[in-house]
Amino acid sequence: MSLQTELKSERVSHLAVSGFSRVSVGTSIRNTLAQMQADGQVVCLVTDDKQVGPPSETAQLVGIFTERDVMRKVIDVPGMLDKPVDEVMTPHPITVGPDASAADALRLMDENHFRNLPIVDTSGRLLGNMTHQAIIQYLADRYPVEVLNRPSDPERFPHKAEGG
Amino acid sequence: MSTGATNDVPLTRKDFISDQTVRWCPGCGDYAILAQMQRALPEIGVPKERTVFISGIGCSSRFPYYMNTYGIHSIHGRAPTLATGLAIANPDLSIWVITGDGDGLSIGGNHLLHAIRRNVNLKIILFNNRIYGLTKGQYSPTSRTGAVTKSSPMGVMEQPLNPIAVAMAAEATFVARSIDSHPQHLAATLKQASDHLGTAFVEIYQNCVIFNPTEWTELSDRKNRDDSILYLEHGKHMIFGKNQDKGIRLNGFTPEVVSLDDVDLDDILVHDATSKPLASILGSMEFPDYPAAMGVIRDVRKPDYAAELISQVRTAQEERGVGDLNQLYLAADLWTVHTRKEVECASARERRDGEAAISVRRLDASSQASVMPITGLDEEYIDDLDKPEEKISDFQDLLVTDTVSALEPNIPITMSEHSSLARTIRQMNRHNIGCVLVTDEEDRLVGIFTEWDALMRVVGVVDDLAQQTVADYMTPEPLALKADLPIAQALNLMSVHGFRHLPLVDDNNHPIGIISFRDVVGYLNDVLEKE
Repeated sequence: MSLQTELKSERVSHLAVSGFSRVSVGTSIRNTLAQMQADGQVVCLVTDDKQVGPPSETAQLVGIFTERDVMRKVIDVPGMLDKPVDEVMTPHPITVGPDASAADALRLMDENHFRNLPIVDTSGRLLGNMTHQAIIQYLADRYPVEVLNRPSDPERFPHKAEGG
Repeated sequence: MSTGATNDVPLTRKDFISDQTVRWCPGCGDYAILAQMQRALPEIGVPKERTVFISGIGCSSRFPYYMNTYGIHSIHGRAPTLATGLAIANPDLSIWVITGDGDGLSIGGNHLLHAIRRNVNLKIILFNNRIYGLTKGQYSPTSRTGAVTKSSPMGVMEQPLNPIAVAMAAEATFVARSIDSHPQHLAATLKQASDHLGTAFVEIYQNCVIFNPTEWTELSDRKNRDDSILYLEHGKHMIFGKNQDKGIRLNGFTPEVVSLDDVDLDDILVHDATSKPLASILGSMEFPDYPAAMGVIRDVRKPDYAAELISQVRTAQEERGVGDLNQLYLAADLWTVHTRKEVECASARERRDGEAAISVRRLDASSQASVMPITGLDEEYIDDLDKPEEKISDFQDLLVTDTVSALEPNIPITMSEHSSLARTIRQMNRHNIGCVLVTDEEDRLVGIFTEWDALMRVVGVVDDLAQQTVADYMTPEPLALKADLPIAQALNLMSVHGFRHLPLVDDNNHPIGIISFRDVVGYLNDVLEKE
C-alpha cells in the first residue's frame, strides 16, 4: 500500500489540519503580524469582510499571507509595516473542499510547491489549512507502535526493549 | 487522627495523576488498573499526603511513579516488608502495596505471607498475569501447568500457586478478586479493600498484551464474561450467568454448578464473607471448571498488627521506662574485624604473645568467575517486537528500516552565532530556505533559526536587524538527529514536538544535513510510488 493509496481513503477534513489567523482585507501588515503572533500561526487568511472580529458567514477568501511572505517581502524592507496586507499577500489562493481526498490535496501541493492549502466549504467558509504537518501527524497516529512509542530524545533511545 | 479532607476542596481523579510518562506497553491491563485506582481514590477520600504506594519490581511495580501520592519503588519482593515498617512507624497512613505474581509470590513470597498473617494495615494489590512481563516472558509461579513460555518451551512442569489460596493459608482477614477489564467491579473492589482495617489482599486478573495476551480472554470478553464470572455479594445467593440461570451448590465438600431450573433456590449457596471454609472453597474454584469468583471472598475483623505492637511497647515502657538504644548496642559481646595488615601484625604478635586474632580473607581478582554474555532472550524478544501481529502496510517496515540518510538531506546553510539578523535573513532569502543552523567557532551546532522565529520574535519587534545577533533570537540547543536513526525517529520528533526542520549532526555535533516535513512526506510518497 502506497502513501497515495493510504491517503486516498482519507478526506482532508479527516486529517489534523492546522489552524490559521484571519484578517480583513485592508488590515495593515503591522496589525496582521500582531494577529499572527498572538495566535501563534504562521499562515494568515485574508477575507473580504470589513468588520473586526469573527468573520461574517458570507466572508470570502481573497488572499493568503504566510511566513514566507514575511521573510521575502516584509522583514528587511523598510516602511512595509503600515501598508495594507493586500499588497504582499498571494491573491486568490487555490483551495480544496473538505471532502477532497488527502491524496489529491497532497498531490496538488507537491505539484504547485504549495506549503499551505486552505480548506473551504462550498459556501466559502474557512475550515482549516492543509500542510505537510497534517500528513506527518496522520502517519504518527496510524503507526503509533513504530512512531509514537519511542522516546523523543534520540540520544536516549533504548537499545533494548523494556516492558515496564 | 485524620486531618483535612473534610474541609478541603474534594479531590478529583486528576489530582492523583502524576507528571510521569507511563511506560507500559500499549494495551497493557496495567493502564486500566491505574485508571480505576485514580478514579477510586477521590471517592475513598483519604488525602494525598496520607496515601502511599509501595511496590517491588516488575511492570506493575512502576505504579507508584504514576500516582501523584507518596510512593516507593522498592526492592524485588520486599514491598510488604517496607510497607510493614511504614505502617508501624506511621499508623495514620493509607498504604497500598502493588505487586505481581512474580514479585509477590516468587521473589517475595515469604514477605507476602508474613505481612498477611500479621494483619498489618496494608492493601496488597497483586496483578496476576501469569507471566514475567518485565523480564520478557518467562513462566511465573501462577502460570498454568503445561503453559508454553520463553522459559518453558515444552510446557510448565510445575503446579501453579493460587494467590487466593495462598492468602487464605496466611490467615488473610480480607481477600478479594477482580479483573482489569471490568472497570466498575474493579473500582468497587478497591474501595471495599480500602475500608478494611488490617491486611486487604486483592488479586486482579491482568492482561499482559505482549507475553500472555490470551490468558483471561474468556473472562474479559464482554459477550461471555457473565457466564464465566461469579459475582459475590455477602448474604446473597451464588447465582451467575448471562440470564442469571445458574448457581453454585455444595455436594458434600465439593461445589458444583447447577441449573436453577433443576434445583430449589434453598439449595444454592449463600455467600458469607465471614466463613473461612466457604472462602477456601470459593478460592479453590478454578475457571474453566467453575466460574471465577469475583468480589469480596473473605472479610473478617482481627487485631491490627501496628496497634498491637504499639500497645505492647507502651506497656513495656510504662513498666520498665523508655529504653536506650545505645546502651542496648553496647550491652552485648563486642568484637572487632581487622584488616589484613592488622591481622598480619596481630599474627606476628600472636606468634610472639600467643594472642588470638580474627582473619579476614580477601578475594583474589583471579578467583572471580568469567562472565558469559547472555543475549539470546533479548534478541528473540526484539525480533518479536519487530514483527507486529498484523502488518497494516509497507510503511511499518519502511519507517523502522530506512534511515534518515535515505531522505538525502540537504546541505545545511550555517551561520556563525555572531552573525547579525540582517545577514542571516539575507542568506535565507538568497538560498530560498526556511531555516539556518547556527554554529560556534568550532562549527558545532548551537542553535536553529527559522521563519517561525523571524515571524514570532523579530518582525515588527526588532527595529534594526543589523544591530542584533542571531544567537539572541534562535532556538538554542535544538534536538538533532544522527543520520543512522530510522525515519520513524524523525516522524516522532516532527509529530510529537511539531518541529518542521530537523538538523542532522555527526558524532562531533557538526551539522551535516537538514530535513523538513516536505522531505519526509516526499520521500515516503516517491519510494512507495515506485514499488
